[in-house]
Amino acid sequence: MSHIELCRKAVETARRIGAKEAEAFITGGRTVSVEIERGEIKTCSDVTDIGMAIRAITDGKRGFAYTNVLTREEVEKTAKQAVAASSASLRDKNWTQLPEKSRYQTVQKTYDKRILEVTSDRAVEFCQRIIGSCGEVDKRVLAAFGGAEVSNQQMACANSYGVEVEDRGTILVCSLATMARSETQVTPICVEFKASRTYDPDPEWVGKEAAKLASEALNVGKAEAGKFPVLLDPFALNSVLMFTLIESVKGDIVHRGRSILMEKVGKKIAAENISLHDDGTLAGGLYSGKADFEGVPRQKTPLIEGGTLRGFIYDNYWARLEKKWSTGNAGRGGGGLNLPAYCTVPSISPTNLRLEPGTASETELIREVKNGYYVRSVQGAHQSNPETGDFSVAITPAWRIEKGEIRHAVKGVMIAGNIYDLLNKIQLLGKETRQVGNLIAPKIVVSNLNVIAK
Amino acid sequence: MHSKRTTHSKAYKKREMEKMKDTFVTVLDKMKNQGATYAEIRAQKNNNTLINVVDGQIEAVTIARETGAALRILAQGAWGFSTTNSLSQGDLEKSAQSALKMAKAAGKSVREPVKLAQVKPVEDKVKVRIKKDPKEIDIKTKIDNLLTINKECLRFDKRIKSVTIRYADLATDQTLATSEGAFIEQEKKFVWNYCWVTGKSNGNMASARDETGMHGYELFDLEPPAKIAQRVSKIVAQQLEARTPKGGEHQAIIGTNIVGVLAHEALGHICEADLTLSGSALMGKLKQKIANEKVTIYDTALLQEGFGAIKYDDEGVLGQNTVLIKNGLLVGLMHNRETAAKMGMQPTGNARAQDFRVPPLIRMRNTCFDKGDYSFEELLEGIGFGYYLEAFRGGQANLDGTFTVGVQSAFEILKGELGQPVRNVGISGNTLETLKQVDACGKDFGLEMGRCGKGQSMFASSGGPPLRVNKILIGGA
Repeated sequence: MSHIELCRKAVETARRIGAKEAEAFITGGRTVSVEIERGEIKTCSDVTDIGMAIRAITDGKRGFAYTNVLTREEVEKTAKQAVAASSASLRDKNWTQLPEKSRYQTVQKTYDKRILEVTSDRAVEFCQRIIGSCGEVDKRVLAAFGGAEVSNQQMACANSYGVEVEDRGTILVCSLATMARSETQVTPICVEFKASRTYDPDPEWVGKEAAKLASEALNVGKAEAGKFPVLLDPFALNSVLMFTLIESVKGDIVHRGRSILMEKVGKKIAAENISLHDDGTLAGGLYSGKADFEGVPRQKTPLIEGGTLRGFIYDNYWARLEKKWSTGNAGRGGGGLNLPAYCTVPSISPTNLRLEPGTASETELIREVKNGYYVRSVQGAHQSNPETGDFSVAITPAWRIEKGEIRHAVKGVMIAGNIYDLLNKIQLLGKETRQVGNLIAPKIVVSNLNVIAK
Repeated sequence: MHSKRTTHSKAYKKREMEKMKDTFVTVLDKMKNQGATYAEIRAQKNNNTLINVVDGQIEAVTIARETGAALRILAQGAWGFSTTNSLSQGDLEKSAQSALKMAKAAGKSVREPVKLAQVKPVEDKVKVRIKKDPKEIDIKTKIDNLLTINKECLRFDKRIKSVTIRYADLATDQTLATSEGAFIEQEKKFVWNYCWVTGKSNGNMASARDETGMHGYELFDLEPPAKIAQRVSKIVAQQLEARTPKGGEHQAIIGTNIVGVLAHEALGHICEADLTLSGSALMGKLKQKIANEKVTIYDTALLQEGFGAIKYDDEGVLGQNTVLIKNGLLVGLMHNRETAAKMGMQPTGNARAQDFRVPPLIRMRNTCFDKGDYSFEELLEGIGFGYYLEAFRGGQANLDGTFTVGVQSAFEILKGELGQPVRNVGISGNTLETLKQVDACGKDFGLEMGRCGKGQSMFASSGGPPLRVNKILIGGA
């Protein structure tokens, strides 16, 4: 049976034995990966993990079950289990219904046959090239860990309102984490990667850039505490935004009165040069696809335009509660236990968050900072306060900027502040963007950030 | 709800296990004949129940079963890994062939072949020692306990507005078979409860998290729902009145809720031998003094109430107590069989995998500071100005020894006495500096149940006594 037929079968089974509404969702795929460890290729794996999640709802009582065995017999058993789980549950007074049938548009550059043709031998070769180009930069740098990975992902969803959608996607990732040692110094981990949905590997670039970071992080000099302008890399910005602003634009957090932004739609919350969209339809986006993880079409949703808050992201449940439409932001997985997507019910998650770039070149950005810091990555962002937007993080690695030039690396330094204050102090945005996690952004200059040093 | 289970006689179960053993041995022998130096099958049958409660509404009751096996093969000096969702001989063989192919692909360029430290292959059957099996507790009782936490949080303080609760009980029957002849049937059970509570007052917002767990459902006898609710709500109420701490280096007392995270983040990760070998700040520091002589830190599999208590790890190595720092000297690291062989040491039983989807990594178990003899009052004495760091929100480690710990509850210390609560904040330091700054250890002891992320999520505990440190970097204003 095809995946969509299995989904239909599951929905039928759940309905036949008494569920008022039912949904079946298949996700997962095959991943071939080669791991680099301490400058060597040590492990190669070929893992297929795909499963079905079934929701069964009767009178607002929600049941959920999943299986990692996609046979007709097992799917029927799982549907029965979901119905049994629903009977054991209690009525949710807020429940309305599962999503209705929709039309879907095809998203460009999310699937490439050439990625499927990458064999384990070819992935080993990518890793050799990553290690090789890393070694050419600086002998003091160690290719600590990383690798090459190709993945072929599938998705199918059907529900009792006639939703039926199938999608597939590919991704190719080369990555390397380096560190360097000298007589007196050990650098923090320095990470570089290249991820693409279409076949576009560049292992040499990954190896070289990761090595350059560690090499440049070895030259440690004095840090100064106080208020300074800071150049934030998309790596650092992604970490800080995800645990502060992005938490507060989730529709469930807003509805539950936990978002500082709940009354602020239409009001200015950031500098005028700031525009941010969630776009699940972006060609080649790492989180792009036809439909979200409950069968609602992905879309482009404005969050901030010209500094003004435009709205929030929703899944079906929380959108209906607010008498709105889902923005196609249902995700699955995680839930604190790092479970695969088919093992959890949907929850609101961002897709590709695109921060509109500016026009500044790299040199112009550093010159703008003049006397401050360049922060590549931060450590401890997940300990931020998602409700207030307060963050205090260690900066690893980071460099001192003096007289408009990058001088030396710094260690044992933190930055602390509030994201809504930071958003109002973005002075300059770079013209080049890249995707790190969900965020697609340029480097940005923030004025007057609190730097804490020994 | 009681799910109906087919009950089989002991004799039937024994026959089934014998059959499974024959299948595994056949597959493992085939791999050896085809060039594997070592082969391992780790099969799991998992039964999971998960319940989420969002502001008093049941988000979903999840009942799930999973079956799968991980196949790990060492050939030509490198590892190959594959998984299957079926335990039939045909599927296990197919997956083993795939793992063997992967090992051979990775082995092409290996300069230093992977070797494994010798361990005596054992045959054993291990049951979890618990008082209340979560599978014997009906769903209604589980839901009631969670709704009580929700209700008690709201009742504690009018300013508390929102409560999220995540509950899970996960049961695994694992069978580990190796080409060296180990055959270990091991049961694992985890009961886990997490809450996130938010309060609001005059436009001010604050929140706190609470995480607790045990191997059995007796968790809720020892930690009744009302106790959990009060513990977390109290922090929220205090945080609503807290002020921002002063940024910079300060003297501090690290409470029993945070001290374990410090052991885990500031020392534990860089003592995981794979990371030590990858050039961590502790590379080449064995037998050297890296901490104040009052500091002793260990990682143990033997602390039964801890989340990291295991009899055997996922390579079949017997769990033990591993001393990492003894009176300030770095004396041990945490190993799997591969790093132990590489460094000429003994494996310590730290190889653990999240589930059958992934290979084992070196993971901590129960990581703790050893107790000292100071009372809390004695620790406070002599602090002119500083902070008492009471409860944590999370932590993160870096290979160079930089660690961060998020603090969700803290107080000022003024002239040896506890003062005003301060707002949640991050602290940071470096292992090699901070552990030298510990100048007194308390005589109380606390143990925290948590999860650790290293690509895979893993249940682990950490703990210790309250500590006084001369200086630590506080990320305030």
